[in-house]
Amino acid sequence: MVKVGIPRSLLYYQYYPMWRKFFEELGAETVVSPVTNEAILLSGSSRTASETCLPVKIFVGHVLYLANKCDFMFIPAVRSIGGKIYNCSKFLGLPDITRAVVPESPVILDPEIDLSRGQGNFLKTIYALGNHFTPDRKRIKAALEEARKANLVYRERMVSLKLTAVEVIGEESRNGNVEAEAPLSSCLTIAVLGHPYVLHDDHLNHRLLSRLRTMGVEILTAEMVEQEKLDAAMARLVGKAHWTFESDIIGMGGYCLERGVDGIISASVFGCGPDSMMVSVIRHRARELDVPFLSLSLDEHASEVGIVTRLEAFLDMIGRRKRICV
Amino acid sequence: MRVSFPNFSNIHVVIKAVARKLGVTEGELVVPPPTTQKTLDLGVKYSPAEACLPFKLTLGNLIEACEMGADTLLQARGTGICRLGYYAKVQEQILGDLGYNARFLTYDVSRNKLVGIFSLMKNLRGANWFRDIPALHFGMSKLFSLDRIDKVVRHTRAVERERGGANRIYKEAIASIDGAENGREVKRLTRKYIGRLNSVAKDPRARPVKIGVTGEIYVVLEPFANMDLEMEMGKLGVQVERTLSLSRWVKYSLFLNPLGIDEWKDVRKAAMPYLKRDVGGDGWESVGEKVFHSREYDGLVHVAPFTCMPEIVAENIMPSTKEDLPVLSLVFDEQMGKQGMITRLEAFVDLLKFRRRSREKHENFSGC
Repeated sequence: MVKVGIPRSLLYYQYYPMWRKFFEELGAETVVSPVTNEAILLSGSSRTASETCLPVKIFVGHVLYLANKCDFMFIPAVRSIGGKIYNCSKFLGLPDITRAVVPESPVILDPEIDLSRGQGNFLKTIYALGNHFTPDRKRIKAALEEARKANLVYRERMVSLKLTAVEVIGEESRNGNVEAEAPLSSCLTIAVLGHPYVLHDDHLNHRLLSRLRTMGVEILTAEMVEQEKLDAAMARLVGKAHWTFESDIIGMGGYCLERGVDGIISASVFGCGPDSMMVSVIRHRARELDVPFLSLSLDEHASEVGIVTRLEAFLDMIGRRKRICV
Repeated sequence: MRVSFPNFSNIHVVIKAVARKLGVTEGELVVPPPTTQKTLDLGVKYSPAEACLPFKLTLGNLIEACEMGADTLLQARGTGICRLGYYAKVQEQILGDLGYNARFLTYDVSRNKLVGIFSLMKNLRGANWFRDIPALHFGMSKLFSLDRIDKVVRHTRAVERERGGANRIYKEAIASIDGAENGREVKRLTRKYIGRLNSVAKDPRARPVKIGVTGEIYVVLEPFANMDLEMEMGKLGVQVERTLSLSRWVKYSLFLNPLGIDEWKDVRKAAMPYLKRDVGGDGWESVGEKVFHSREYDGLVHVAPFTCMPEIVAENIMPSTKEDLPVLSLVFDEQMGKQGMITRLEAFVDLLKFRRRSREKHENFSGC
């Protein structure tokens, strides 16, 4: 069976169930790299320019891990998933960066996903992609439909069960239902803002989410909220979106500030261009509404202890505030 | 209404010229003071820590302009990809926090084009084609003449006998073109200064190395942001070649691109094997310039602000191209020291000279 390598990084967290379904329907097998570890990070950052942001370095590490374990490497260049709203440069350059820094990689499948140019263009891209596996256009189209359905189910489960992306993907692979890890005593609700590839990569963020849960916090991430609500909140706060995944940060931040949470933690990566602007908008709004806001900036030098200390201090502060307020 | 704008290369000359022809009085146009360390400090103090250098510098300019009483600010905006699109939103918030109640007029650099410029003028003074078109034309003529002079300056610096002569003439040229009242005067001044530059005493034995400058347009063109990069290269006897310029951008982006003429066509085609698509900003062109000019230049200096998204993509891809052209990547932010940059430039120029010598030696041998 043909093997398609999918790095467990960046868009994996948003689209893996969809991609897997698509390739399975076409008779290919997907190979996913393991959870990020230090070796993957180091191998990735040894290949890339030092300025590159951490998620891209990790991505390259995952590609290196998969390089000799598959026949194709699937790295889509996602330009736009609707409207005239475009993605960050690095997502667009991702296949080309990978080709440049990992010359030993197998053939890279790099469809350019640009929904702003219409459905016809998108179908053409998908046919070209599917052509690597089967010349049968009908079968490709059917696979696309199945993949779409898989994606809807995936989204729906995250929203209805308040599960994170990793939990839903894990649940599918174990073929059983898992409940969200029950917090010890959920007296605080904290919104965690960040891109899925930051929040769900435990090596990158030093187990931020599970750490918060063991501290007795109920967490809320963007994938647990319906997309429409995020988009509406974003429109109220800044108007039209500028980047593809803007609703993860601005929409989620705006939604939580309207809905009311005990605090907001933003986890962003050092040097992230879009985040540097978006977080500043949310911080500003949070200050106006007097909602506690903690901004964590992560890079390969971030120390675990530093993060824990800041989290504890933040939660203590909120706890004390709440006692005084109530 | 008191209008102001952030500094960028020689744009103050152009805006002043257009404003004068539009009948904006001296008091209504606030020209921001030249960018200095104080501007940068102000920008850094009030910007998000991870914003890029152009954001911080333009914010500094705008704060200084607001201090001088500006209440309407012109700022660029882009569609998609690079964070330029967010500049105005965040800067407006920051200025609001500082207590300045300024209105932003944004100009979308990737859409609207010429229409955008006219609607800006309409916003400022009301529409009047008979006044607007000549005003724009006058501004453009100054821009083109300055860029023509600038090109001669870049070539003269490398070979002049007494260092600094060309720079003095250039400074003078900017000042007197800024003062020119009409198109004929601009033409006369251009000829005069190009003549003066050509008659500067030159070293007949000088064999300057030819280095291209490419990268993110703001840092490439704004001398304060790149710490007078081109001047320093000139001091080292380097002939600086640069495709990017404001006049070229205006010429193509406003007038020729809508007609289907793409000034970057060859460069983008050259980049195709390595980078297949536009990644925003000037990233695609940076890769293309390396490939396209690999035979023509001795080396390439690639400049970018720290954390610039498109240029990081370019920086990652550049080393892997088949075409062999040495590239020096310089990344600018508020922490950058000028001495460090000069040391790296010196080393780079030495390397290129050495490379040229050994190549010539090789050619001589194979010749006999």
